[in-house]
Amino acid sequence: MTAPPPAAADAPAAATSTAAAPPSTAFIEYRAVSKAFAGQPVLRDLSLSISRGEILFIVGTSGVGKSVAIKLLIGLYRIDAGEIWFDGQRVDQLPERALAPLRKRIGMVFQSATLFDSMTLAENVALPLRKHRRLAWSAALDDARRRLAQVHMTEHADRYPAELSDGMRKRAAIARTLALDPEVVLFDEPTTGLDPVSARRIDRLIRELASRLGVTAVVVSHDPPSIFGTADRIALLYQGAIRALATPDALRASPDPIVQQFITGQSTGPMETPGF
Amino acid sequence: MTDRHAPPGWLRQRIETVGAAVLDSGWAARELWLVYVGTWAGIVRRLSRRHLQGRPHGEITRQLHAIGNRSLAFIAVTLGFIGMVMAYEACLQISRVTGDFSQIGGQLLRLIVSDFAPTLAALMLATRVGAGIAAEIGSMKVTEQIDALRMSGVLPIDYLIVPRFIASLVMTLLLSVLGGVFMYAAGGLTAKYSFGVNPGVFFDASQVRGRHVVLLILKATSYGAAIPVVAGFCGLRARGSSEGVGWATTAAVIGGSFAVIFLDFAISAAALLLTGGDL
Repeated sequence: MTAPPPAAADAPAAATSTAAAPPSTAFIEYRAVSKAFAGQPVLRDLSLSISRGEILFIVGTSGVGKSVAIKLLIGLYRIDAGEIWFDGQRVDQLPERALAPLRKRIGMVFQSATLFDSMTLAENVALPLRKHRRLAWSAALDDARRRLAQVHMTEHADRYPAELSDGMRKRAAIARTLALDPEVVLFDEPTTGLDPVSARRIDRLIRELASRLGVTAVVVSHDPPSIFGTADRIALLYQGAIRALATPDALRASPDPIVQQFITGQSTGPMETPGF
Repeated sequence: MTDRHAPPGWLRQRIETVGAAVLDSGWAARELWLVYVGTWAGIVRRLSRRHLQGRPHGEITRQLHAIGNRSLAFIAVTLGFIGMVMAYEACLQISRVTGDFSQIGGQLLRLIVSDFAPTLAALMLATRVGAGIAAEIGSMKVTEQIDALRMSGVLPIDYLIVPRFIASLVMTLLLSVLGGVFMYAAGGLTAKYSFGVNPGVFFDASQVRGRHVVLLILKATSYGAAIPVVAGFCGLRARGSSEGVGWATTAAVIGGSFAVIFLDFAISAAALLLTGGDL
């Protein structure tokens, strides 16, 4: 596993990009990325570098653009300005068809389990194997059952998502994402809606992925035990940009009142929350 | 410094509102076109086997069943009743004028074949099937399942719309024929029991020509293509949560019905022009 980078406490990056900007040397890099929906800016000049094998948590209040930020990396949304680089390749301008190899290397666990209702769990896990690996359907199903066994879901392989609990669906969704052995996994609020025990198991899984397989994890979360117990670094997103980027300990020690309000969860303070 | 030539605020606001609506409509039309073209491209990919099918085998069969078999009773009942009303009204008007029912069955069949059967069947399918397709795809959109499909290496149009498109093409044609049969049979029974029209006189196919059958096939397949494309497009445009799915479903029914009416007009007008009015 690559060692996590040193702490960069309270370092809102302000890199600007130009057409002549050199290729990125970071594993994942956002350069002055902006994104708006219906004229409402969500991300403003977001700059962020992520190292290989790192576990980076992106935190912030609801609606601040955390999920948007990770979806931009894999082309589920398109940026309005800036650049996104992955492993030395600029990826923000790739057409949909050219994104397939990228999505093979970067998996995503969505906020809701997003299993396909009309398919059994085994078929759900088999689908990316069949499409990305070009396996025959029977071979993909066999592999899918092995993948489900890794998350202790073997006995449910032939059941439909509607027949399972949220935690079980989430585990199956993780199995589907990991089926392609991705180098990077994006987790969008993986512990939301789960009981504490299941949530900590997910945390442990993220840790194991990083330590045993060198998988880079970018996790969007609101769950403090998960954030401070799992992250190598934490990026606090505020008003569309990185407000603080630090190790858990450095973030706790940050004098920034915005950071402190987020950590302590106080309802009053300098932090402006949209909709409140 | 203010620009003396700038329009007043209220006018500027109106212009912006109208302009935004026009631009939005333009983008929507472009997206609808892309879905249509993408669907045909998906069919070509499927036929050429250049890509492996993501979905387990039998999806088209399932869609044939969902669109066709499950709509059969609905189509039979609605078109049957419409056939009864049409035959009754026609007989009533003729009884008030000449009382000669000899032409009524043949003329009614000609109309059913060339227009009523495919168009009315398609309007019924636009509500039942279009709403279902839009609701399913819209739900998948707002719950990020479409994004998950893209992450799985699957093109949503190939996976979701192409099987429905193929099934709709086949089943709209079949249901148009079956609906026409129910319509004509119900009309014949109504004419017999309401006005005493001899079935041997009513059931007369001598007025139907090959061009009427061609029109039925052309219209039914055009409607069969339009309904899933419009519904799929509406589903893929769903935003937000359940409200967005509701909007998509409503838009699919309205859009699908409008597409059927428009295609009916366009194909009928083209046929009239091509045949010199001899339809």
